Amino acid sequence: MFAVVEEKIDVGAMIEGASRPDCGAVCTFVGTTRVDESGENSVEYLEYEAYRPMADRKLEEIGAEIRGRWDVGYVSIVHRIGRVDPGEASVAIVVASPRRGPAFEASRYAIERIKEVMPIWKREVWSDGYVWVGSQVGTRPSG
Amino acid sequence: MVEVLLFGAAADRAGTRRVQLEIEESATLQEVWPLLAERHPGLSPMRDTLAFAVNGEYAKMDGHVRPGDEVAVLPPVSGG
Repeated sequence: MFAVVEEKIDVGAMIEGASRPDCGAVCTFVGTTRVDESGENSVEYLEYEAYRPMADRKLEEIGAEIRGRWDVGYVSIVHRIGRVDPGEASVAIVVASPRRGPAFEASRYAIERIKEVMPIWKREVWSDGYVWVGSQVGTRPSG
Repeated sequence: MVEVLLFGAAADRAGTRRVQLEIEESATLQEVWPLLAERHPGLSPMRDTLAFAVNGEYAKMDGHVRPGDEVAVLPPVSGG
């Protein structure tokens, strides 16, 4: 399954869905929102937006790339958008393969590719404004 | 007419998420960019950081845009 969702990611259900008798390895990567602090201010939450349906299609393409490179039995990637609170999962990747090597490698590949090609943007919403990650554009007071 | 969609920091800089531009038969992204930057000068400082998509697929600056196409202005992605 490849999906861009607005609700919490059910990682447990994704892992259960990956289980199959011909696979001896299920590797899961979960990216969670990490918050920083500066002085008296802190990040309250992250907000993601996506260019759809391009983002949905890029997830499918990453899945196809993985199937073309490794012997995997199952691949699932879910990326959340909208408001994501600190410590919650923003992305989850589950790969099952007959042996462990491909599952580890393919899940790493998936997150790197997501960060390269998936048209998704996040902004950190601080107590005093917001900043688009990667562009350093926002409403936070400078200095 | 082409529909231009703006995302993330580009939408902030432009002050809008959607722009319609009049173009002749066919133009390259290189030719479309000045029309957009003229309409929304706040985008200009971001130029070197931006990527573009035409009809939902990444496109280079010599890629063609035709009336009816959808162009997306994509700041550096920050998924994950």
